[in-house]
Amino acid sequence: MTKYLWMNAKHLLTNPYLIFWSILFIEFWVFMWAYVFGAYIPPIEEAVRLYMASAYGNLLMLSLSGAAITIASTLLYGSKSIRYVTKYTRLSPARFLIENFASALIALLTISSVMFLSVIGVFHSKFGFTILPANAVGLVFSIFLGAVFIYALAFFLNSIVVVLRSPKSSSFIFFLPLIFAFTAYAALWVDFGNLAYASPFNCIVSTCYYYLSGKAPPTGNLTSMAQNNRPLVDVNIALASLLAWSIILMALDTLLLRKMRGISIEEIRTA
Amino acid sequence: MIVCQNLYVTYRWRQEPVLKGVNGTFKGKSLILGPNGSGKTTLFRAICGLTNIKSGKILIDEKPIEEIYATKGVVSANFQDIYTLIDAKAFDLIRLYTDLAEGDPQLALKIIEDFGITADFLKKRKLSELSSGQAKIFCTALALAMKARHVLLDEPFEELDPARKGRMVNYLNEYEGVVLINTHETWLLKNLQDWEAFLMFEGILYGPLTVKDLLNARISMAEEPDSLLKLSLSGKTVSIIKGKGKGKLLTSLENLDKMYEIAEGLKT
Repeated sequence: MTKYLWMNAKHLLTNPYLIFWSILFIEFWVFMWAYVFGAYIPPIEEAVRLYMASAYGNLLMLSLSGAAITIASTLLYGSKSIRYVTKYTRLSPARFLIENFASALIALLTISSVMFLSVIGVFHSKFGFTILPANAVGLVFSIFLGAVFIYALAFFLNSIVVVLRSPKSSSFIFFLPLIFAFTAYAALWVDFGNLAYASPFNCIVSTCYYYLSGKAPPTGNLTSMAQNNRPLVDVNIALASLLAWSIILMALDTLLLRKMRGISIEEIRTA
Repeated sequence: MIVCQNLYVTYRWRQEPVLKGVNGTFKGKSLILGPNGSGKTTLFRAICGLTNIKSGKILIDEKPIEEIYATKGVVSANFQDIYTLIDAKAFDLIRLYTDLAEGDPQLALKIIEDFGITADFLKKRKLSELSSGQAKIFCTALALAMKARHVLLDEPFEELDPARKGRMVNYLNEYEGVVLINTHETWLLKNLQDWEAFLMFEGILYGPLTVKDLLNARISMAEEPDSLLKLSLSGKTVSIIKGKGKGKLLTSLENLDKMYEIAEGLKT
C-alpha cells in the first residue's frame, strides 16, 4: 500500500462537507425521528426496535448518499492527477481503485458507526432502554455492502462526468444519489412492491432493518405499522441485488478509469 | 527519449487542432520557444497523457504512451493540476508524490527552501492556497524531485525575480536526464547555450537548432535560401537566418509574442 490510502482516508474524514451533510445534518434527523416522529411510539421494546430499525436504515441511506456527493467531487477535482499518477507513478489504475476504494470505505464505515452509536444513544435517551442489533454480524455485513455500493456509484458518476468532459453537468449528476435516496425514502409512505428489489437504496434500508430488528420489513409503507399481511422483503434477494449493483458498477468503474483524461480545475471552476 | 510523430491534438470534437502535425525528438536538454497560445503547453499535456490525441504518436523510450501505466521514473511535470490528487497541505503532497514516484522529498524541500519558502509554511498551506509564483516553484521542485528520466517544465521562470531565475537555471543545468522546458521568454538563451532549441508557432514545431545558433539568429520577412528555419506566421513566411546582416536579432525581442508584430510589419 502507498501513503495515498491513509492520506485520502484522513482527507475524507476531515472534509467539512462530508462532516456536515453526512453526520451533523443527519444527526438532526436522528433527534427528529426519536423525539418528534417517535412521540407516539409506545415504549414497548418490540415496537421501539422496529421503529429504530426503520430510522437507522433510512438515515444511514441518506447519510451515505450525501457522502457519495463528496467522494465524487473529490474524484472530479483530482481527475487530472488520477490520470497522471496511474501512468507515471507506481499507482496502477487497479491499485489506485483499490486504495481509493479502501480509503473511502474507511470514511463510509466510520460515518455508519457514528450514526449507529448516535441512534442507539438518542433512542436510549428517549425510550429509556438500549436496543442492540438482533444480528450484529449481519448488520455489519449489510452496512459494508451498502458502503461498497455507494462508493461504486460515486466513482461511476464521476467517471461519466470526466469521460463526457462535462463538468457543468456535475452539479446535477453528483446529486443523483441523494435524489434516488429521497425517492427510496418515500417507501415510508408508499409500497414499491417488487421494485424495492431493483432499487439498491431500498435494499440498504431493508437489509439494515432486518439485521437490526430481526424481522423482514414490508416492501413499503413502513409508517403504517398497524397493517398486517403486507408483503415482506426477501432479505436474500435484497442482498443479492445490492451485490449485483456493486459488481456491475465496479466493473464499469474499472473500464472507465482507463478512458479518463481528467478535467482541469480551471475548467471545473468556470463550468 | 521522447519522440512525437505527426501529432494532432484537439480539445473538443470538430474543433481545429491545437497541435497540427508535430514532429520532434527530445533526447537531451531542450527548450521550446513560442508565443502564448502556440501549443507548447498542449504538447506537454499530450506527453503527460492528459489530452486526447487525435492522430499521430508519442513514444517515450520507444514505448507508445497509451501503453504506459504505473511506470514510475518516466515522466514528471510541473503542471499544478497533476498535484491535486488530495486537497492536502503542500508539505503532505511532497510526502505523497515522492512516495508514489519513489523520489526524493529532501531534494524537493531543499529546492523550495532555496527559493525562500519554508517547510513550516508548506505545513500550514494547501497547494491551492499558495500564490501563483509559490505554486510554480513548488510544482517545479516536486517535478525535479521525482527523479524521472524526462522532466517537462511549463514556463518554469514565470513570476520569478532575476536572482531566482538564475537559481532555477542552475537546477535545470545540473539535472541528470531529459529536460524539456517551454517558454515565451528569450532572455534565458544565453544561460542555456548547450541546449537544443525548438520554435513553436500556431501548433507546428520547428527545429531543432542549437541555442548558440539561435543567439545570433535574425528574423527576416523574406524567404531566404540559406535560412536556419522557415516559419509560417499568420500565413506569411518568416525566415530565421544565421549571422550578421539584415533582419532583427531574435534575442532582441523581449518575448516571442512580438514575432507576430514583425510578421504584420509593425514596429517593435
